[in-house]
Amino acid sequence: MSRDFRRDLNREFDAISGQPSPALSARVRAALAEGRPYRTGPFWMAGLAAGLIAAIVVGVLVVASFNRHQTSVLPGTAPTPGSSPSPVATTTPSAMPSQTPPDSNLPPFVCVGPISLAGTHSPMVAFVDAVRSGTHTGYDRVTIEFSNGEPGNVDMSPHEGTTFTQGASGQQVTLQGSTGLLVIIHGADEHTAYNGSTDIKPGYSMLLELRQVEDFEGTVQWGFGLSKTACYRAFYLTNPARLVIDIQNS
Amino acid sequence: MSAVMEERPTPMQRATAGDADSFAMLIDPLLNPAYRLAAVMLSDRMAAEDAVQEASVKAWRNLRQLRGDESSLRAWFLSIVANECRMTRRRRWWSVVKSADVETELRNDAPSHEAVTDLRRAVARLDPDERLPLVLYFYLDLPLDEVARTLRVSPSAAKSRIYRAARRLRSDLTLEEVS
Repeated sequence: MSRDFRRDLNREFDAISGQPSPALSARVRAALAEGRPYRTGPFWMAGLAAGLIAAIVVGVLVVASFNRHQTSVLPGTAPTPGSSPSPVATTTPSAMPSQTPPDSNLPPFVCVGPISLAGTHSPMVAFVDAVRSGTHTGYDRVTIEFSNGEPGNVDMSPHEGTTFTQGASGQQVTLQGSTGLLVIIHGADEHTAYNGSTDIKPGYSMLLELRQVEDFEGTVQWGFGLSKTACYRAFYLTNPARLVIDIQNS
Repeated sequence: MSAVMEERPTPMQRATAGDADSFAMLIDPLLNPAYRLAAVMLSDRMAAEDAVQEASVKAWRNLRQLRGDESSLRAWFLSIVANECRMTRRRRWWSVVKSADVETELRNDAPSHEAVTDLRRAVARLDPDERLPLVLYFYLDLPLDEVARTLRVSPSAAKSRIYRAARRLRSDLTLEEVS
């Protein structure tokens, strides 16, 4: 690299950036002492943002109240009539951890389209404190455990290929396998109580890799790398709150 | 009889334990490079200071996510600043991309006006994520492995990104020149 190029480039960058204001350091210290940032922008923007957030929260609460105690299975994948109630709603407090109900009581596997789960009595932010995987006859299982209750909402959908875009950074990651499954957990946080791996490679027959692709501003996303397209199901277990995702492997 | 020497906690240990002053002391030398990075990515000096401030608070709140010791702090902090800049740009959906606030003053030792103009136009055409590796490597003079850690990619991927972005500014560049 010629010195001229570096010098000329840096001159351009200097022209763009200039010098920071002498008050920047003090500003940052003040913000750190308060534990929250303050902005130089007009106050009406903050007011507008607060209004929007309040409207969204009210909207989410209204929608959540309709969805409570039920699993909604989207396009063309409604549970068959007569199928047993989903264990999603089985949140009666109990001293003992709830066990996985018999298969007949679990929601059916879904082969096409997304699945949504609504949490019950969800905290503002549900803290993930464990992520586990296992393989069983008929399915590979991922369990995401929360320390303080079920998250507000979970969306899952098949993902074309195994390349996922990471939240916040926008960078792409490619997982093992030929196809994927994306799990989006709204109202959750994985950096407060979770210190396990964010890239797990169980190498089962169907589930090859799972990787956290976002943990930012109350949204946690995991991408699953699968060996081929598979049917899947999801439900909650309680005490402690656990999101269980099964991927058919036979 | 034995004497027990109590070791004084390092600023990093004090910061991790919740001491905001210690954290402020740790990042103080990083504010200038962080500001320069943000200003080039955003082409807006006021927004750059806001981004640095918000990134500082986010870093403070998430300090325990920092892997490694104090020597990892710079790359980690700059990656938060870069993320904050991306978010700032997304938030500014109503605004257009700004050009530099201040024009370069041509000096006697400056290259010809034509050459400067060409380079400036080429820099302006780069999107912020293309400017980022150039800023880290050329402007902030970070070593390649630290550029890689800031970009959260491998060193070879970081080198490729620097090369690709620099090639958009100087088409006759060779990979060997990005060493």
